[in-house]
Amino acid sequence: MIISTGIEELDKMIDGGLRTSFCYAIKGTAGSGKTVLSLFMTLGALKAEIPVLFISTEVDIEKLMIYGKSFNMNLESYVEKGLLHLEKMSLKPLGTNLVQTDQFNLSAIIARTKTKMKEINAKMIIFDSISAFFADFKYEKTARSNFMDFIREITNEDAVLVLTAESQMSEEYSTIEEFLVDGVIKIRTELKNNQLIKRISIPKLRSAKPINFENRFIINRDGISILRSEQPPISTIHEESSGIEKLDNLLGGGIPSGSVVLVEVDGETNYFPLFLSTLCYHLEKEKGVIIHSNVHMYSSRILEDFKKADCDIEPFMNKGNIVFIDKYNRSVTAIEAREMSQLMTTDDMISVTVELMEAFQKSKQKVVIYGDLTDDVNILSETEFLRYFALQSFNIKEKRAVAYSFINFNAISREMLARLRTTADIIIRFSREDYTTYMECMKSSTGATFLPKVVKYKDKMPLIEIVD
Amino acid sequence: MSLKILFFTSPTCSWCPYLEGVLRHIIKEIDHLELEIIDVTKDISRAGEYEIVAIPTIVLPNNQRIIGSADETFLRKQLDFFLTLGS
Ligand SMILES: Nc1ncnc2c1ncn2[C@@H]1O[C@H](COP(=O)(O)OP(=O)(O)OP(=O)(O)O)[C@@H](O)[C@H]1O
Ligand SMILES: [Mg+2]
Repeated sequence: MIISTGIEELDKMIDGGLRTSFCYAIKGTAGSGKTVLSLFMTLGALKAEIPVLFISTEVDIEKLMIYGKSFNMNLESYVEKGLLHLEKMSLKPLGTNLVQTDQFNLSAIIARTKTKMKEINAKMIIFDSISAFFADFKYEKTARSNFMDFIREITNEDAVLVLTAESQMSEEYSTIEEFLVDGVIKIRTELKNNQLIKRISIPKLRSAKPINFENRFIINRDGISILRSEQPPISTIHEESSGIEKLDNLLGGGIPSGSVVLVEVDGETNYFPLFLSTLCYHLEKEKGVIIHSNVHMYSSRILEDFKKADCDIEPFMNKGNIVFIDKYNRSVTAIEAREMSQLMTTDDMISVTVELMEAFQKSKQKVVIYGDLTDDVNILSETEFLRYFALQSFNIKEKRAVAYSFINFNAISREMLARLRTTADIIIRFSREDYTTYMECMKSSTGATFLPKVVKYKDKMPLIEIVD
Repeated sequence: MSLKILFFTSPTCSWCPYLEGVLRHIIKEIDHLELEIIDVTKDISRAGEYEIVAIPTIVLPNNQRIIGSADETFLRKQLDFFLTLGS
């Protein structure tokens, strides 16, 4: 279901309107108009008789009603009709004192939100603002990571979730939410000729090409107007080659930096030809390669396979262009590895990876990360794994790196696969039928997906060929 | 006069059974304290009334709240005021 924002030009910018099961973030500096925009989105849905649940974390409900009145909105009438419910949610209600520890979850807001949603059959949930909400938490990191559950549970209900978040002046990707959400609507304020000018852009939009044009954003008593600007795009997508020309073409030019590529295989299809071919290409381009090794993907096996293909990667290893992070001891069996999974905590993994990425970037090297997620999914608890994956993906986005994450889809639950797919920017899937292997692209941030194509294996680099 | 301590839990809270045990243990010693346990997934109206956000939350009669699980020493320190009131 697509819900209009009530602002025609904004609908156009976000590919027709707000999609249910998607989560959007409205980002902007203090006073930029996040609350006003979310109120107008509320009104847009209400006018189409779509019920809305508005959660306010900083402003009291009475004040919100008054705020609405200043824009000629009669929110009370919708509350009376049962189309709108306004709810205050904050960790620290007026007059209370808090003592906090880090052992908590946010199941109360999930339960409260779900119940209210059911009561009015809400299809749009506004959460204004997450910044104010998190500000009360002493253990903000724990709160933020638990908030991912809230996002997941609410979007699972076939509703649109709109979060507002205060952004700092300079940041580009500063919060995890921004990476987890499906769309980002950004309001920027600038002082020009002694006039405060607001601009709106869509830096991120899942399943559609993001509109990087910044349009004028004007708030007045009668509503919000957006004027289309003739200014050039604020940023362009940098695409990187995968090393397999045909694949690049099919993906519309390559893989945008900052992408997480999820490669799905069944237990029997060997993903090594794809892995080694791209790896070889990236090494030849002097990129920095980080490999999260595990029981399938480890240094001696990789070296051996390269030798078989008459390809010598030792010079790159000596130069330090390729680094293995051993989380599990690879020389042992899968079962033993499971027991030794605590050798390195996921937090250690993340910080080591980030340090390496920064080191490569210092020497002006682009970074590519490889990892097989299958064991991680099964060894770590679900929450821990999803947190780990989200954080890694966030870092990849922030550092403009590219990650190839391999997964055996037969070895994990369907729910888990669905969640990985939401976070991934590009999904490549291998499938087999009657001794023929196919490759397809099921999702791509550039919109360039493709149907199953026959794949041929070779014994020289590149080890994989896509046939029409 | 009896004072009520509210303990908000939910089925997805792994620390809650432990915390409940500790809390019961402490409160048993004091006559004028009473414990009420509220599962937020079953009693949404109370969760809304007290604006509960995080689980576990312990609401004390003096507008003090304890967010998150803790051990007995920590809890005793927080409840000190009520404990001395009863002795
Ligand atoms: N009645 C009005 N008419 C025109 N413009 C208004 C009116 N009321 C508010 N504004 C504009 O809206 C802006 C504030 O918007 P809003 O409250 O949505 O900000 P916000 O981004 O939510 O800020 P915060 O981070 O403080 O929550 C003001 O700067 C002002 O320009
Ligand atoms: Mg606001």
